[in-house]
Amino acid sequence: MSTDAHGNGDDDRSSNARLLFVALLREEWRLHTRLFGGWRFAFFPLVVAAVAVAGTVALLESGLADGTILLGVHVLAAGFGLYSGTAAFAGSDMLENVFGELSLLLGSAETLPLSRRRLLGLFLLKDGLFYAVVFVLPMAAAAVVLAPARTPAAIAAAVVGLWLSLSIAFAVGMTATVASIAVRTRGVPTWAIAAAVALVAVVVGVSGGSGTAVPYVRAVVVPLEAGPLAAVGIAAGTVLLAIAALVAYDPTYGRPTRTVGDRFAALSDRLPLESGTDALVAKTLLDLSRSSGGVWKPLVSATILFALVAALVGIVDAITGIEPAPGVFFGGVLGLSAFTTYNWLTQFDDLESYLVYPIAVEDVFRAKRTAFALVGAPTVLVPYLAAVVWFDATALDAVVGAVLLGGYGLYYYGLTVYVAGFDPNEFLFDAVRFGAFTVGVAVALVPALVVGFVVVPPSLASGAALAAAGLGFGIVGYVLSSRAGPRWERRYLTDR
Amino acid sequence: MAAIRVDELCKSYGSVRAVDGMDFRVERGELFGFLGPNGAGKTTTIRALTGQIAPDGGDVRVLGCDPTAEPIETRRRVGILPEQGSPPSFLTPREYLEFVGSVRDLEPEYVAERIDRWTDRLGFGGKLDTLHTDLSRGQQQKVMIAQAFLHEPDAVLIDEPLANLDPLVQEQVKRFLVAYAADDNAVFVSTHNIDVAESICTRVGIVADGRMVTERSLAKGGEDADADADADADPLLEVFLREVTDADARDLPSSAHDRIEGKAGDSERDPRLEATGR
Repeated sequence: MSTDAHGNGDDDRSSNARLLFVALLREEWRLHTRLFGGWRFAFFPLVVAAVAVAGTVALLESGLADGTILLGVHVLAAGFGLYSGTAAFAGSDMLENVFGELSLLLGSAETLPLSRRRLLGLFLLKDGLFYAVVFVLPMAAAAVVLAPARTPAAIAAAVVGLWLSLSIAFAVGMTATVASIAVRTRGVPTWAIAAAVALVAVVVGVSGGSGTAVPYVRAVVVPLEAGPLAAVGIAAGTVLLAIAALVAYDPTYGRPTRTVGDRFAALSDRLPLESGTDALVAKTLLDLSRSSGGVWKPLVSATILFALVAALVGIVDAITGIEPAPGVFFGGVLGLSAFTTYNWLTQFDDLESYLVYPIAVEDVFRAKRTAFALVGAPTVLVPYLAAVVWFDATALDAVVGAVLLGGYGLYYYGLTVYVAGFDPNEFLFDAVRFGAFTVGVAVALVPALVVGFVVVPPSLASGAALAAAGLGFGIVGYVLSSRAGPRWERRYLTDR
Repeated sequence: MAAIRVDELCKSYGSVRAVDGMDFRVERGELFGFLGPNGAGKTTTIRALTGQIAPDGGDVRVLGCDPTAEPIETRRRVGILPEQGSPPSFLTPREYLEFVGSVRDLEPEYVAERIDRWTDRLGFGGKLDTLHTDLSRGQQQKVMIAQAFLHEPDAVLIDEPLANLDPLVQEQVKRFLVAYAADDNAVFVSTHNIDVAESICTRVGIVADGRMVTERSLAKGGEDADADADADADPLLEVFLREVTDADARDLPSSAHDRIEGKAGDSERDPRLEATGR
């Protein structure tokens, strides 16, 4: 055993690493249980497993091929990995730009004799393990349906096999993000990284289903299909890339100081709102535009939703030969972007911070609703117009869809604010609230989608009924968002 | 009429009684120090005084307002510097103070003049157009102090006013607080720092376990106004240590820890302790 000048040997270092790893795991668990509904968070994996099984059954019943479902589940895992990799931002000011202030053990490298790089490695390892167990393992329950087996051992083997494959896909996504961040800390501009990613996507996309790159990309995303040896190779390659990313990562990287002109006064003056409310709305808009990603963040979220829905329409059309009324279909579904837009609008402040001013909680919620209308309308209108043009909607369909889009958007917004208050991102991990939100969405969306599929193009009668539903749910949304202020004010006053 | 009056204030969080029968008064012209260990109920009391929480019992009046029934009016009249408060990350100091002026219904010209005055006083004029996220903690604290006094309130409630400030600015802020209180305003300062309380407060109250355990008057500059009384002749630190229970001892303020554990060394003992032979 080697020792340093202070008598600290390799054993001490590995023991410290173990201690640190356990502490990081404990922190992760407490963070989730504290933020996401306490003990109810323990049920979240069960919810994920139930959704995975139910979704797979539904897709199989609709005639979708096993391989397509398998690809979809792996793409989800890889996408989740891409998102989880942003933890590499933690402890730097970059993450605060997106998610607000954090105080994690990861930041202890600033005060303790710990290597920031080593700590980040342990942090990401912990993240990978935690999410592989809490999120990816329940997703693997889909194997019960995808590969029906008769004996418990065979079922377990199928689930474990899919779990390992999904975990590799998750790790690939996570490593890709960490590697991107690492090169960013070496001075490579964000646009260059984005251009490289876009180039890869275009090359793969242009080559189409028969292109030479596609099988390799598919093997990386779905290791289960590539065979055990290839899967081990992909896993080893991912580990090597992760190590290289950690070596390349520059912990001293810092963004230059930003100085800007006074835009607050001009913006609040331009808003035709009463004094005080204009200030709250202007602040929210500046928060959004100046944080990383700028005003494009909500549009990107809505565009992702649009792309998913467009792909779904294509799949359904390919399987059943039925194409929905595009206006009704996209109008109903794109309204869901209300959730992501509201999430971005509340990402950079908390309700407590407003309680030092002479402002009621209700005023803050009202201002957020105004900001939501200002940001949400153009955000959702662009993909909606693209959809009605692309899918050649009739005039009636487009108008009815627009009414649905506005009404349902306001309804989903009201539902989100009423159920989740100022923390929409967190309640997704609270099984009870998430269940309430899901039921609330389904009540409005499912009937509209059914009509959108059955009556193509919409008749005057069905169009009028859908437009009435859009207006009705819009009113419900407005009422819910109006009641959210008093409801959450009571909670803050008594629970804090 | 007292600027701040608290009678039998109670507030529980589940089974924990954060504030348990708190009583005190702060008059206009006073700089009142609110001292206590962590978890003594200081922040909960400030939140109740500013209508941020609903108390379970008791009666509170701030500048004649009931903060529970009239939270907005209370917060309109007072200035608040919250514990660990920081200005919005993506606004600049100039924009933030304009924002505060707007929600407080102040005229833009008045706000502009106040911004100039505060940037001169605290020396952050060079940072007026820098996003808060790129400012140091100390610079952010200066901005938070400016927002609390922007509308020249008759009463201010401040949690740790000198946190993160450099010694020069600390002295400026201390002098300003003394002058502000002397101008017939009520200044309520919650702090762990006994030295700060002794140097600027006209009166202090020590809280423990959610109750006010003792109050004492201090002459300006920390000279004991009631030095002839045995109990009050003790240095504030001694009083603090006596009143705070053993259960709270782990949360003693840093200066107390240093002195108890002899970190400062005998040669650096507090001269007031030397003078009393303790």
